[in-house]
Parts: sequence; structure tokens; C-alpha cells
Amino acid sequence: MIELYHVWKQYQKPGWALSDVTLTVKKGEFCFITGPSGSGKSTLLKTMYREVIPTEGQIIIGGKNILKIPAHKIYLLRRNMGIVYQDFRLLFHRRVFDNVAVALQVVGAPMKDMKRKVFIALRMVNLHPRIWDYPSHLSYGEQQRLAIARAVVNNPRILLADEPTGNLDPKLAVEIIGLFKEINKQGTTVIICTHDKELIRQFGDRILHLHEGKLLRKDAA
Amino acid sequence: MIIYKAKYFLRETANNLWQYKTRHFFSLTIICLSFLIVGLFLAISNNLRDRADDLSKNLVIVFYLQKSLPAAEQDLIEQQVRHSPLVASVRAISPAQASEKFLQDFPGLKDILMNLQTNPFPASIEATLKDPRTPYEETLRFITEMKKNAGVEDVQFNRDWADKIQSLSRLAQAVGFFLGGILILASFIIISNVIKLNVFARQSEIEILRLVGGTNTFIRIPFLLEGISLGMAGSFLSLLLLLVITKIFPVYLGTSLGALQELISFRYLSFSQVISMIAGGGFVGFLGSLSSLSRFLRI
Repeated sequence: MIELYHVWKQYQKPGWALSDVTLTVKKGEFCFITGPSGSGKSTLLKTMYREVIPTEGQIIIGGKNILKIPAHKIYLLRRNMGIVYQDFRLLFHRRVFDNVAVALQVVGAPMKDMKRKVFIALRMVNLHPRIWDYPSHLSYGEQQRLAIARAVVNNPRILLADEPTGNLDPKLAVEIIGLFKEINKQGTTVIICTHDKELIRQFGDRILHLHEGKLLRKDAA
Repeated sequence: MIIYKAKYFLRETANNLWQYKTRHFFSLTIICLSFLIVGLFLAISNNLRDRADDLSKNLVIVFYLQKSLPAAEQDLIEQQVRHSPLVASVRAISPAQASEKFLQDFPGLKDILMNLQTNPFPASIEATLKDPRTPYEETLRFITEMKKNAGVEDVQFNRDWADKIQSLSRLAQAVGFFLGGILILASFIIISNVIKLNVFARQSEIEILRLVGGTNTFIRIPFLLEGISLGMAGSFLSLLLLLVITKIFPVYLGTSLGALQELISFRYLSFSQVISMIAGGGFVGFLGSLSSLSRFLRI
């Protein structure tokens, strides 16, 4: 499903954010990318949705080399992905409904269909009673759940999460990762960047360790 | 799908226009004033051109005769005029008839005329031309020929007036386009800057749209629509203001202008001019947003 071959990324000389990273994530896998701050976790994730273009290497997703997709066609790749950020990236002047609906609006979904899908996504993260609230009225945990609802509303084949529990207390963090597990059970490939060892210990099916841009250990139980 | 997207774009545009209403209000005011200048000069030019056209449709040469000219000689000149192939009809006006017509046209000046001991108006012969499209040189040759006659003291040809008014109309149009052009350029810059500010203010939203799979066009269309709406609304408001001016201005000046009132009673713009103004506003808005988006919204 996701294949990276000898991926290198350099932002500034002389350091490398990613050094010769080669890995494969199979369809339907639940995978953690871990490592200390600055180890290249976020950069690795960003290369997968082509927010960052590697200096060298190849990235194949669903059989397609995403580095060869023209810039104006990148939206096709991203429509098959759900992305969750540590800082949530919510639209604070829009209601909960609009925050989730935005992912459907870009594909021109009819309003009736959109309402149904948004409600299903919000119910999945148990946020449906807050559908007409503004994000600023939600707690941190609820905001993160809202970001997850936006990421999954389109039924993406891949879900990428960059430190999704970074700002949450341990109990909420477990709850959020539990949600990702539920989504994964429905067939979505999930890749989560985190440095929370407790979560990895509790949920880790497959763990990829990064250190100074290098993939140290590809698999761990 | 197109309908749903169109609805989304319109809703987004309306929301965005409302969200930054103060900024949009100021830009709208400037766009409106810029188009008002163009509209005003266009209306003046229209009015002058209409007057010139009216005059051109009824071309008349008036031959003013010497006061002491004997009747026989007057008849001779009249015959000479009548026999010209350019002339359709001839009317001899006596000094008394001229005085009467003056009093009809300018009743306010009756006292001045009465205070004069003599009738100041000379006898004249009014010749209406057969074809208003008669070449000017040909008419001029006829006038020169007639001027050689000792009994003809002066000649007035309203084509001179028509030409003068036509050139005045063209001048008004040119001034309007020049001033308006500068102001419309200012509108363009203002729209461009407003859209730039909007792009910066909505950077996080643009980022989210990009990451959930929004296309370039999808992200840009609401901004383009904002620019077009501002331009069109500005020019539409200017047309409304112009309508008010054309209705009020002649009423305000009318009483003090007497016979000249007819000359400056503004006719509103033609339908095609109104459409052109609104479309022009939209086009300026479109260009303004496009220039800003191409520089500041790189997706």
C-alpha cells in the first residue's frame, strides 16, 4: 500500500531530516512511527501526503509514484487520505458541522449526503450532540476528536496522524488511540507519529523507530 | 455536483464578504466613486452628442440681411437661395417676426427689448438643407458664394454648433475615460490588496482545504467571486448614484438656467452603457483578485 524507497530529505545543509528511509506499510495496517523530537517523524509523514518533497528516493502509494503526480493533481492523492494534526487545524469561526463538512465540500458532495456523512463521522467520535457548537466551545479532547471526524468523513484508505495525543492527558490519549483502532478495524491503514511510549506499549502492532532521520528498527511487537 | 459546488462558492463568498465587512465597505466606496466619475462624464458626453445630433438632423443656414436693404434686393437674395440645389425650403423672417420669436424664447428679457428705441433684429432668410449628410465643403462653398452678395451681412450655420458640441462631447468622453481610467486603476489596486489581506487572513483555512483535497480552482473561486462582487457592486452603486444625480441636478439648476436648461438636462446612460459599466466593474474585480491570487496564493 505505502512503499518508501531510499527516501532522503535535507532542509538545510549539512543535516539530513531523513536518511535513506525504506519501509513498506501494508493495506489495513496499524503502525506507529516513534522517535525523539527532531528525529524526522513529521517529515516522514509529510512526505507521504506530499507536503514535503524528498530530496531523493521514491514513494509509492496504491501502486503510484506520488512524486510523479503533477502539482495540480495532488488533490486526488489527498482525497484518499485523512490527516490529523497535533494542533488540530480547525476552523474556529465555523461550527463543528462545517469543520467536518469541509472535506466533503471539496468533492462537491450534495448537502443531503453531506449531512448524513458528517453526522455518522461525528457520532463515531461521540461528538454528534455538539454538531452546532463552535470549536472554541469544545475541550481539547473534543477538538482532537473533531479533527479525527474531519479526517475520516470521506472514508479514506489511509489515515495519517501527527502527534495526535501530544496535547492530551493520558486518559484522553488512550481514548483517541482507541478511536484510531476502531477506524483501523474498518479497513483503513493508520499511521501515527508519537513519542508516547505508554501508548505504543498498549496499542503498538507495528512500530517504526526513527533517530536522526534514520529508520532504526522496522518492526517491533 | 456543479450546482452543489456553485452553492458552496456563493455561500462562501457571501460569508467572506460579511466577515470582513469594514474592509469591503471602504473598497466598495472607492470603486463606486471611480465608476461614478466615468458614468458622469459618459452622461455629459451622451447629452452633448444628443444635442449635436438634434442640430445635425435639421441643418439650417441663416442669412442675416443688411437693415437698409430694399425689399427688391431681399427678394433677389431669397430667390438665389431658393434656387440652390442644396436647399429644401426657404423662409423669410422680417425684423418684427425675429423680435416676436425672441420674446417667445426669452420672455424674461422682454423689458430689455422694450427699453430699446428700435428693433435690433435684422431681416433674415432661413434655408433648410435638403440632406443633413451634405458634404461640409459643398455647403461652405454655397455660403461663401452667398456672402459675396453685398446685401448679406452675416451668415449663421448651425452645423458649426453641431461640430463644436460634437467635439465637446468627445472631449468630455476623453476626460471621463482618462480620469476614470486612473481611478479604476486605483480600484484595481484596492481590490487586489483587499483580496491579498483576505488571503493572508484565511491562510489556515486555505491550508486545510488544500490538505483535504481541495483543487486550486476550488480554493481560488471564492476569492475571485469576492473581487468580482466588489467590482460589480461598486459600479452598480455608482449607477444608482448617477441616476439620483441625473434626476436632481437639472431640477436644482433648472430655475437659474432658463433656456440653457434643455442643454444640460442629463439623459441617463443607455442600457448597453449600464451593462458595460457593471461588466467593467466585474472585470476590474476579477483582474484585481487574479493578480493578488497569482502572487499570494501559491498552492
